Amino acid sequence: MLIGGPLGWSLAPLLKQHIPSVYNALKPIASIYANAAGHRKMGLRYDDLIIEEREDVQKAINRLPTRESYDRVFRMRRGILQSAAHKHLSKEEWVKPEEDVRYLAPIVEQVAKEDAERAMWDSMAVERKK
Amino acid sequence: MSLLTRIPRGRIPQAVLRKAYATVADVSGVKVAGIETGQPAATTSLTVVVKAGSRYETKPGVAHALKSFAYKSTSAGSALKTTRETELYGGVLSATLGREHLYLTAEFLRGDEAHFLSLLASVLSSTHFYPHEYAELVLPTLEAETLSAISSPTTLALDLAHQLAFRHGLGNSLFASPHSPVSVTDVKSFAQQAFAKSNIAVLGSGISTDALSKAVQKAFGSGSASGSSTLAPGSTKYFGGEQRVPLELHANPAAQPTMIIAYGSTSAPSPELKVLPHLLGGVSSVKWCDGASPLSQAAAKVPGASAEAIILPYSDASLFGVIISAPTSEGVAMVAKDVALALKAAGKGVKDDEVKRAIAKAKFADATASERVASLISTAGPALFSSGGVAAPDASFSALQKVSPTALGKAAKELFQPKPTIVAVGNLSVLPFGDELGL
Repeated sequence: MLIGGPLGWSLAPLLKQHIPSVYNALKPIASIYANAAGHRKMGLRYDDLIIEEREDVQKAINRLPTRESYDRVFRMRRGILQSAAHKHLSKEEWVKPEEDVRYLAPIVEQVAKEDAERAMWDSMAVERKK
Repeated sequence: MSLLTRIPRGRIPQAVLRKAYATVADVSGVKVAGIETGQPAATTSLTVVVKAGSRYETKPGVAHALKSFAYKSTSAGSALKTTRETELYGGVLSATLGREHLYLTAEFLRGDEAHFLSLLASVLSSTHFYPHEYAELVLPTLEAETLSAISSPTTLALDLAHQLAFRHGLGNSLFASPHSPVSVTDVKSFAQQAFAKSNIAVLGSGISTDALSKAVQKAFGSGSASGSSTLAPGSTKYFGGEQRVPLELHANPAAQPTMIIAYGSTSAPSPELKVLPHLLGGVSSVKWCDGASPLSQAAAKVPGASAEAIILPYSDASLFGVIISAPTSEGVAMVAKDVALALKAAGKGVKDDEVKRAIAKAKFADATASERVASLISTAGPALFSSGGVAAPDASFSALQKVSPTALGKAAKELFQPKPTIVAVGNLSVLPFGDELGL
């Protein structure tokens, strides 16, 4: 189980909202980290790495538009082949930083929100209007 | 003698009847009528009547999909919130699709109208039409409803009868079909056209027009779709024809072979046509008894069989039909022969006392229609658009009283003149063709 919902927890949204100067200062380091993580060299996007053995993430994957869903499967198959061959893609095939968009995270968040809402309604206490 | 003769037959004071019926108010482009019954009612029902029945649909099945999209996520909250809040208020939400209108109904305890009206308004103005809700919640409902319609011979036969009788417009099927897929964008664009203010009316029962108008002003005053609808009903023509469908006997153990013999006319039902089904009858008024009407006499010859005459009224057409069903196809064939004879006899002339009996039954049917929520919606709802007012329950009495045997005979003869619409569902090697019945 992941702490802090299906996507794990992150301080980035809080920083972006409340202390943008710190966020902007840390952004280049984050970019270096994302490049060093190596998924882009395998032709994967960051959202392809989200742990998918969860009901909410599975539901989110089902909600992807058909095209996104096909592309996701293609990237994964290509990544598995590269991994088996112990090779990176050639440099022009690497995923560029601007292509590495969060296509799945918003849908996962939407599903998590729905689950939270259901839990709220399931466990609420009704009070008579005064 | 019986006590019945002693019951005072004096007329009900007109003021009492008139009090129950309200005029139609126009609240910022939306027609509103509240019908208040005599005593203070414990419950109120609100119905938004939308001219978005299957006859208006831009693509086959889109009206059915729109019906199933009712009460899903709106900008006021999720589908779950709508459901749970309704449960807490002790209300019932429902959506019904007819060939001409879509009815969104909320029934609830008196006094909660503000909540439920704003809920209905948000359904009309801000349903999100999320693709994932369509795939996860709406499509399974559509599939199940279509499947259950196909496995019910009467529903299937009535749907096919409309198709044969009117072909397009009113002939459109009420049910989405797997053969013509509907996408969520189709539903969205249909909804945008259908939910224009000029296209909707609000009908309340157990609430006064004044109170309802105020609530409607508050809920629909801003934020809902304005402008006029581009959905056109098209003209209606009667065609007729014959269709035979094998019955999937393994599908539903309760399914019985069914035949429908129907005739259509291209005008709203005249008083004569309203009386005709009651003349032919089919439904016994007394328990444990076959009934004296020609159709019940015909059905009584086969155990477990039924033959019932109905009239389906529309704004510019009506479909008169006899629904015959029996446990076996042989039984249906036997009853159908007698039904055909009864129809022909009605076209030749009718007896005076039988007509009197039928008129009394027609009056009763008209009057009870306004006393129950379900039937009130389907009679008063369309009237808001066509006549601009809800007629009192006794409004049709004088017209029905004037129906004479000769006029009824003439109307029946005219009705039975064109080609009949015949639908047979069952064992096709046994069920008769129209010409074998002499129709």
